[in-house]
Amino acid sequence: MSAKDEILGRVRRGVGKDDFAGRKAAALESLTGPQRGPQPTMAADLVGRFRAKAEYLSSTVASVAKLAEVPAAVAAYLSANGLAAEAVATPDVGGLDWAGSGVDVAARAAVDADKTGISGCFCAIAETGTLMLLSGPQTPATVSLLPETHIALVDVSRIVATMEDAFALLRAEHGSLPRAVNFISGPSRTGDIEQTIVLGAHGPCRVHLILIGTGSLP
Amino acid sequence: MSGSKHSQAMHFHARAGEKLRNPILQGALRKAKPLFVGKRAKGVASLAEDGLDFDVLRSTAKNIRNRTLADLDAWLEIFEERAVATGAEVLWARDGAEVSRLVVDIARRHGVTKAVKSKSMLSEEALLNEALAAAGIRPVETDLGEYIVQLAGETPSHIIAPAVHKTIGEVEALFAREHGRPLETRTSADIPAMAQEARAVLREHFLSAGMGISGANFLIAETGSAALVTNEGNGRMVTTLPKVHVVITGIEKIVPTLEDFATLMRLLPRSATGQSISNYVSLLTGTKRDGDRDGPEKTIFILVDNGRAKLLGSDYQDMLRCIRCGACMNHCPVYFSLGGHAYGWVYPGPMGSVLTPLYTGIENAIDLPHASTGCNQCGAVCPVDIPLPTLMHRLREEQNERGLRPWPERLALKVWGWVAGKPALYRWLARRTARYLNWLADGSGRIRIFGLAPGWTAGRDLPVSSGLTFHELYSARKKT
Repeated sequence: MSAKDEILGRVRRGVGKDDFAGRKAAALESLTGPQRGPQPTMAADLVGRFRAKAEYLSSTVASVAKLAEVPAAVAAYLSANGLAAEAVATPDVGGLDWAGSGVDVAARAAVDADKTGISGCFCAIAETGTLMLLSGPQTPATVSLLPETHIALVDVSRIVATMEDAFALLRAEHGSLPRAVNFISGPSRTGDIEQTIVLGAHGPCRVHLILIGTGSLP
Repeated sequence: MSGSKHSQAMHFHARAGEKLRNPILQGALRKAKPLFVGKRAKGVASLAEDGLDFDVLRSTAKNIRNRTLADLDAWLEIFEERAVATGAEVLWARDGAEVSRLVVDIARRHGVTKAVKSKSMLSEEALLNEALAAAGIRPVETDLGEYIVQLAGETPSHIIAPAVHKTIGEVEALFAREHGRPLETRTSADIPAMAQEARAVLREHFLSAGMGISGANFLIAETGSAALVTNEGNGRMVTTLPKVHVVITGIEKIVPTLEDFATLMRLLPRSATGQSISNYVSLLTGTKRDGDRDGPEKTIFILVDNGRAKLLGSDYQDMLRCIRCGACMNHCPVYFSLGGHAYGWVYPGPMGSVLTPLYTGIENAIDLPHASTGCNQCGAVCPVDIPLPTLMHRLREEQNERGLRPWPERLALKVWGWVAGKPALYRWLARRTARYLNWLADGSGRIRIFGLAPGWTAGRDLPVSSGLTFHELYSARKKT
């Protein structure tokens, strides 16, 4: 007997119920109308909430009025932190006028030598101050992972309240999941030496968010 | 069962004494406990700021886990179908030995000589690192705590803080040796530099390994995905950079929907580290897609039984709800007196005291169900409401029924049972005992040396009553 058949046989005996086909059909049916658990109640100002939570998680936050102002804001951040004016960017944001702000940007997946990675995000979650990034040809996952500094662009109209809202948006806009959905909440950290929290474990040491827009968009 | 081969759980008593006499370990534990307890309390309290109630969330989480377990056969098939539809491969392993065999086969098939690992307790059940090394494949643990423990040639002593038993001095000695540099004097101010040192060393491994091995915090049936929760980002590295990604996880880890996952994520990080969310939460579905510039070309799930299926429908099914947060051990007075290694197998603390006998054989872990003060701190903080003390009691009953307890204890319990069934005799004996103890205390209210069981008074005094039994006090009160 195959391992699968043997294990499923044991599981079935443990479950102790008949009508496998009927139960499986019911389980599949339950997937079509997923139920949410208890939801948090939050103030209506999702942008303010997102910003406060992101800062609490040790991200830094700046804001600009429109997308065209992003390259200058990135240049200002890099210079203020003594970082080189060069970066790798996910191709979806690679087309901004980076050269105009003196930042040398390569649009591709990241390699180990890249010091700064610039990405957009699929959406952001106000409840916890979290970014939601999807992997894809235009949004390689390594850009938010390998460089020491990750700069993420967040359109404030894409800030939702909860992870459940983010999943609803994902289902509505994409239907299925990409290879990787990455929820990112601040710089990487570890507490494994004497339970002392240190920022910068394997992922980025710094996460800088640039909020775009005023939050008045629908 | 293969698990019993490397279990040292039978040596709990001997190890407990050894651990209590280890001042370095005791120092490390004393430092850690208030941090764990304080962080979890703060994390749970933060729920109220958003109008969420821990008890309501916990009963929702419990229902999600129960609902899945009630039809686990169906959910497993649904998960497999959907995972395969996204391009992943799904394999099944009856026990730890089969896990190791499958992983070694996969590594050989892909010409892998080095595997980077994100934390997987199931790989500890399977003794996977030993099997890989024996096959000439180098396993590299990448969670900082696991890396430290691997350098020391030890096993994790905590499921979320594997190196909690190590002091900074011990870590420094390991790093100096492994990284080929002189030993330095370290204080806590040097911890960031030490973390950076490990980051640089492990980065090379991430970039050069042919295979990534991870566990999964959850499997999501709806999407056929693995959910991975980490703070360091090593989980993302292991599942993004190598060409092959192997997910090793228990068959009980399934949750039906993304919404169910979101509910559990309000509890898991808070219960573990007090965080409202961990730094990285990844849902991994299938392999590198057309046009993708990064990601593994092959994703293989290994769904493992190793003793889990037989708990379904048993008195111990509640244990399968466990989401591996570590809150039970973080609040356990026994765990923080001894550390995790005393428990002798993969899982320490209250969850280990239940799982080790169930997975490796009740007769192979006789002391563990007794490694409890009965305080129920573990049950009170468990985010999926597992009645851990009750399960330990059931295991004790089973030990007794199977005649596994030492004969003096069995005899004593028989005698006690007989006496308790005779109220007059019981009262007479209780009266005699109370008077005797009171006489021993000699008016001080405390016994300093109790001759019949000297162990009890070796490290503390035994308080005694006024000399009256409960029955006597009760009758006296009724009369007034």
